[in-house]
Amino acid sequence: MGRWSEETVIKAAPDASSLAAARKLAHPGPWSDSGSNDVLVWGRCQGSGKTPYQVSVDIVAPAYRCSCPSRKFPCKHALALLLLWSRGEAAEAGAATADFAKEWADQRADRATAKERRQSEQPADPEAQAKRLAARLALMDAGVDDFSRWLTDLVRTGLAAARKQPYSWWDGVAARLVDSQLPGLAEQVRDMASQIHGRTDWSDHLLLHAGRWWALTKAWSARDNLSPDEFADVKAALGWSTASADVQDTEQLPGPWLVLGAHRSDDGRLQQQRTWLQGPDGTVVVVLDFAAQGQGLAAPQLAGALLDVTIARYPGTAPQRAMFTGPVNPLGAAPSLGQGNSIGQALKQESAAVAVSPWRTRHPVLLEGVIINPEDRGWLHDPNGEALPLVDAPLDSLLALTGGHAADIFGELEDGRLRPLTVVVDSMVVTP
Amino acid sequence: MWLTDLRTAALVGTGRHEAPLPPAEMGFHAPEGQSREEFLLDQAALADVVTRATRSASAVPITGVFSPAPADMEPQASGEAARLLDLLLTQPPVGLELRTQLVADWLKLAEESRRRVPHRLLPALLTLAETKSTVFRSLEPAIGTRGRWMQEIKSPTSQEPASQRTGAPSSDAAADYDVLRNRDASAARVQLQENWTSLSARERAGNLALFAGNLLDEDEALLERALDDKAKGVREVALRLLDQLPRSARATRMAARLKPLLQVKGLLSKRLEIDLPPDPDKDALRDGVPADPRKGEPDRMARLEAIIKGAPLDVWTSVTGRNRSATASLLKDEPRILDAMIAATAARNDVEWARGLLTVVTDRRLLDCLPPAERAHWLERHVRISNDQPLTLAPLLQDLPQPWSVPLADAVLTVISGKDGGRLAAMLSEDLPTALPPEATERCRLLLAETDKDAARRRVLRDAVQYQSFKQSLTEAFR
Repeated sequence: MGRWSEETVIKAAPDASSLAAARKLAHPGPWSDSGSNDVLVWGRCQGSGKTPYQVSVDIVAPAYRCSCPSRKFPCKHALALLLLWSRGEAAEAGAATADFAKEWADQRADRATAKERRQSEQPADPEAQAKRLAARLALMDAGVDDFSRWLTDLVRTGLAAARKQPYSWWDGVAARLVDSQLPGLAEQVRDMASQIHGRTDWSDHLLLHAGRWWALTKAWSARDNLSPDEFADVKAALGWSTASADVQDTEQLPGPWLVLGAHRSDDGRLQQQRTWLQGPDGTVVVVLDFAAQGQGLAAPQLAGALLDVTIARYPGTAPQRAMFTGPVNPLGAAPSLGQGNSIGQALKQESAAVAVSPWRTRHPVLLEGVIINPEDRGWLHDPNGEALPLVDAPLDSLLALTGGHAADIFGELEDGRLRPLTVVVDSMVVTP
Repeated sequence: MWLTDLRTAALVGTGRHEAPLPPAEMGFHAPEGQSREEFLLDQAALADVVTRATRSASAVPITGVFSPAPADMEPQASGEAARLLDLLLTQPPVGLELRTQLVADWLKLAEESRRRVPHRLLPALLTLAETKSTVFRSLEPAIGTRGRWMQEIKSPTSQEPASQRTGAPSSDAAADYDVLRNRDASAARVQLQENWTSLSARERAGNLALFAGNLLDEDEALLERALDDKAKGVREVALRLLDQLPRSARATRMAARLKPLLQVKGLLSKRLEIDLPPDPDKDALRDGVPADPRKGEPDRMARLEAIIKGAPLDVWTSVTGRNRSATASLLKDEPRILDAMIAATAARNDVEWARGLLTVVTDRRLLDCLPPAERAHWLERHVRISNDQPLTLAPLLQDLPQPWSVPLADAVLTVISGKDGGRLAAMLSEDLPTALPPEATERCRLLLAETDKDAARRRVLRDAVQYQSFKQSLTEAFR
């Protein structure tokens, strides 16, 4: 595993104050016994107490350990150590692994092996499994029925009346959905409360979403008639997650995988990172990472990087969700993202994707030779004279990178607008 | 139409408004026996899919698109240099004031090594320049063609931050005249002489005031003429300017008024007695000696000050028969006289008199008259031997060009590390990191290593070390 860049360390920080505190410690003064190898970085940091804090970091599958009492994770000591290491100012490779770091790494390895053994040794009890599944399905059936009734009530009394309801009314519905193991749907309902108070086109937004929710309840009821991929999409929309262990055993797709772009979001409760990848045969997949507030997300992959890694795909229609099934080794940077589309073609692709799976709201597209127009919130113009509005666009950055010249832009098409994630300029793939 | 009807029905509710029938061409057939609510929800689901599956590109005219940026001529700063600028802009590892200075340093180093700012860093840099004039002034030429193009897009009349601008001429005409005066002082004088009668009093005073930067002996005739101007504002400007000309006729007249007031007394001629001037006559009033006030006692001392400021300083040495510093020492107990002499010295930028007066009084106006190296040398000695309060010392040091000489830095660090040095450190907190030369860094590091409870002093020293080490990294990155 190579040395992290300072940016990677910064992104691992749970918040700005931890990073600021870490910077104050990121000088060799308080550090002793530091060192690193391919997997671990370790060191002792002299704090205010008599005994120095023992800090160990697993840099392959990021994990942090520090003997300090901080509730931040990773704590300022781990971040400071990583900062020093990333700058090459401490924790040089070559030293023998410190006892505390070795002990921690051994404990982790033992735990991982024990867990694997437990899982492999405990043969699944098919009867108990079937019982659990039946119970869950019954619970979800009841939840979907309840939600259908709520939807009919909603349109009977009218959307205008719903807009007068307080946030707690929507939260109540969302809570019932969570109880019925429908967290995906719950999330959408909870989000609607702020959307209808914040949007000017709130009535259309609510009407179309109510239609989508209604279709979802119908799809659930008719699940026996759905293909496995269609059913997987419905499950994902409702929030029934697929265990990663189930995915791990499916077909392994070798690389190299090209990182098309990535997006991070934070809704105050959950941080999410979407990384779009393209395989050698053009297959596009998305890797999702989640982390709770205050926790560090997985280190992001650099846009344009070619990754030597195998992936496995979650069930569902394309573009599928995927997960890495082995260590990620960067092979270098690609000079471009390949052949792009016109705006018209991109919208046609979106139409086709909606026809296959109406629950999907984001579609990855690569647009070719588009010009940035900073008017309003930003537009893209293609050589055919067609235009597409932008969303969440860092306009200054896009203008600085492209200089008003035509460039290839990769992004997510969402609600008829493009969220630009990557720009290709001067044979380089750059994140704006 | 269908969507509009559907929206209406949904808004008021199916209890009051039935959902419309979908257009026949959609081929949508509702199942039998549906309730009104189910019928509406079915159509809402249809509307959702139809809306998303039939999106077409907008045909927005390209009115807002600018002509593309021309190609950059200089290569971009790459590798470590680019990384350091990125770090300074996005995650500054130092305080915000130091960051501003380091960004300006980066831009200067880029200029020297003929490199430009990487395009991706331009937005953050230009945003910083909007509020920091130090950065704004250093943008050129390192921002390159793309940076200038961005500036035009962001605001077609890109300007220095308003709060930082000083002395901006009030009108275009005044600005034009300022340019002319700076380019060709004589031509500007001739032009003003020609237009004198046609200009308003405010314009005459304003244009005349622009002479201050490059006043010549040849300007005297116009200034004499201005002494007879009917506007008080014009006369005051002319008097202020004539104070700068010790060889003028007005200076000779002032000398004639000053000389009889000075008398050397005492057995060893060690005392200088100074009389107050008599009530001003018409000529003295014209030369700027203050008139009696309408009420109360006249300020005779102010009359003397006006005369001192207008007369050549050498009147004093000719009366005492001593050199400048010996003459100055005779005036040690006359603060107002000394102050008037300092004002005259500063107005004429008289180095010799500045040296003489500095032997008895410390004043930044006098220091400003000295060449930079001499000023630094004087201050270094002064810091070492005087017991000036931080309040006196700090402004003098802040006024010096940076970086300081090594001996001066050494002297200041000695004071700062002393028992009561914390106050001076606190007062110099913004200047010290950038003022200390690289050679002083090691001493700062040693001082920092010593246990010290004075937080302000520690902070200043730490900033100084951080600034120098980062600047060193910048210099190496551009090699």
